[in-house]
Amino acid sequence: MKLKAHGIETNLPTGWEGRIGVRTTPLATSSTIGDPNEIPHPIVHLANFALPEDRGDFGSGAVDIMNDQHVFVSLFEYGPECANTALFSRQGIPTKLTPNMFSASALQRTLPGQAGCQIFFTAGNRAFCLYTVVGKQSAAARVLPGANATLSATRINPR
Amino acid sequence: MTALIVLLTAVVAVLGLLVVGVLKTHAEILKRLHDLGAGIEPGESSADAQPSPPPTPITSRDDFQVMPQVPAPPEREHFGGAADLVGLAPGGKDAVSIRIQGVEQDTIVAFLSSGCVTCQKFWDAFAKPRKLKLPKGTRLVVVTKGPEAESPSSVAKLAPTTFPTVMTTDAFTDYDIPGSPYFVYVHGPSGRVRGEGTGPDWDQVRALLEQATVDAGLTGALEDQQVAKPNADQAREERIDRELWAAGVQPGDPSLYSLTQQDEHSHDDAGHTGGAESAKIVKS
Repeated sequence: MKLKAHGIETNLPTGWEGRIGVRTTPLATSSTIGDPNEIPHPIVHLANFALPEDRGDFGSGAVDIMNDQHVFVSLFEYGPECANTALFSRQGIPTKLTPNMFSASALQRTLPGQAGCQIFFTAGNRAFCLYTVVGKQSAAARVLPGANATLSATRINPR
Repeated sequence: MTALIVLLTAVVAVLGLLVVGVLKTHAEILKRLHDLGAGIEPGESSADAQPSPPPTPITSRDDFQVMPQVPAPPEREHFGGAADLVGLAPGGKDAVSIRIQGVEQDTIVAFLSSGCVTCQKFWDAFAKPRKLKLPKGTRLVVVTKGPEAESPSSVAKLAPTTFPTVMTTDAFTDYDIPGSPYFVYVHGPSGRVRGEGTGPDWDQVRALLEQATVDAGLTGALEDQQVAKPNADQAREERIDRELWAAGVQPGDPSLYSLTQQDEHSHDDAGHTGGAESAKIVKS
């Protein structure tokens, strides 16, 4: 199942679904997500479960409904000024996630049993953060091959 | 004075034209009614009266009459196919993929249009998710045609925030959709269509879908009544089968179904308590 938008494309394996989009700029400071002064950049959400529509950039709303066999992947793009800087010096999309890279302390929002992993990188001269959440840390070895396959099938094209 | 006469003449002429028009229309109506057999008593024979045609038998789905703005059922015997959904999000810029087949949850795919009058009721209904009363474990996905056939901005205005909306013309072909609004209920694990149809509002469509889920639920309930065999019993049976096979006793062997004299004797000794070895009847 191929998905393509905003210079990012992926070919999702069986059981996975995704969204590639740019969040709209909030109109008022009262908005729960985002800041009126921000310039939103593309965000990719990939998961091996049904993604809810009400999701935060790093999966809030989606991680809440995950079970032990679920994986959530977010590719969050930062501004062009960040590309190739020290934090984003790693080149290319990480495609070899291993269980020891995951920790409950890396979660944006701590939920029992879950573990997360955050990697910053540059691809196609664009700065990204790969944020991955597994539904159960002890099941990471079982579910990460699917996440790695999905990431391997993802391409980020230069702007 | 002259002007008044001219004015009156003109008014009379206009009224005359109107009267002629009304009479002509009236004559046309009478002629149509006459053709339909109105006013002719049964058995009345009239040279002018033409027999009304016999009722046309319904021989195809085209003969069915459905409500205006509601698509007629497709010309096929079975449910249409199901497919995962890939397309654009409302607005036409973001990409969306929705997995329908091989997933845990069932999916109701609602095929709508931004332009059709009946669809508006569904767009309004989907804006209030709590009132939808979706079947448990079911996900609603809205599908419109792609940007080549729909206005992305119009779809963006109508699209519900709680449910995913996908703009893809391919899905209309994949599911063999006759028109909008139309609904397909897909069983997630098998990826098969369990029900499809349409209606003038969500309440009627929900009733249709509930019927499909109830029917499916009955099948599931019957399957649930099958009691699983304990592992110990299964292992014991397999061990006995292996030992019998090793001894040359194959399935269907007469010795499995006959009682020896000794067996009969021991059976008598056991009385009604029924010894465990009273008969050599094993599963073949």
